Amino acid sequence: MDQVESLLSRPKFYYNIDGLVELGGGFMCLGSALLWWLLMRSPADSAWHQISLFAFVGLMLLIRYGTKAIKTRITYPRTGFVEYQRRWHSPVIAAALGALVTASLYVVFRRQWDISMLASLTGLVFAAAYGYGIARAVRWKWVIAGAIAVASFVIASLPSDVLGALASDSSVGHPGRAKLDGSIFLCLIAYGTMLLISGGISFWFYLRHTQAPAQDAQ
Amino acid sequence: MNPQIQTIAELDRVIHEPGRLMVVALLFAVERADFLYLQHETHMNKGTLSSHLSRLAEEGYVKVSKTYRGNVPQTLLCLTAAGRKAFEQYRRKLKEVL
Repeated sequence: MDQVESLLSRPKFYYNIDGLVELGGGFMCLGSALLWWLLMRSPADSAWHQISLFAFVGLMLLIRYGTKAIKTRITYPRTGFVEYQRRWHSPVIAAALGALVTASLYVVFRRQWDISMLASLTGLVFAAAYGYGIARAVRWKWVIAGAIAVASFVIASLPSDVLGALASDSSVGHPGRAKLDGSIFLCLIAYGTMLLISGGISFWFYLRHTQAPAQDAQ
Repeated sequence: MNPQIQTIAELDRVIHEPGRLMVVALLFAVERADFLYLQHETHMNKGTLSSHLSRLAEEGYVKVSKTYRGNVPQTLLCLTAAGRKAFEQYRRKLKEVL
């Protein structure tokens, strides 16, 4: 019975067999870190603040369609194509969570609360999600899950001066805001780097150990 | 007859065969997949996999559609509603027995 259950979970893990999900996630985190940094460093009335949302959406679309194009050219001809079931509740939950986080950040910024430690420790949730979604299939990736958790603790325990120094001049007057800006920036850099390393290793292994069969294979 | 043996006797023979069980379980978790994916996951050769798929298609559990990916022919497979129902029933009975 366990073997049947394990067969049922195999297609879920196939999605990241080539490491492209992690590479996409890594580019997303590093791209977001760059956008965040530009937002922090540019004056509040600059044009950059007006177009940053479009830049973010552009980045997401680039990653989404870039990953799809690489899968079509490399993964599907080598190890096959899978189309997953579309469940109506997944996008609804994602949209609800996104709205909740955006609303919470809006309130936090307006009231200038210091939640920099909490923001860093959300990395623990990220590490758990990574462990459940990705590291369960490939054992060595638990090292990456552990590294994400450790990075969260390290960033959460950094002194305010260090985090504040990363933030913009305009937010220096608000120590809570400066710390939050700095910790979000550092978290994005740390998680993005780890995902890129892990995804890059997987992709390299995938290319080395798989080969497209001859054209009459299907 | 012992009820446990009775349940075993009632297991769907078409799905119970190990090769076909693998195919049905893999297809149950997805919307559809191609032949290459099933071959990669089951480690069966083309002939064996084709014969299992033919048997499942005969029974109405699997729908086979042929298409092209660029210039390369592609065989897409998906579990029919009857196939999903049969597999769910098979799992339920197997759990009862175990």
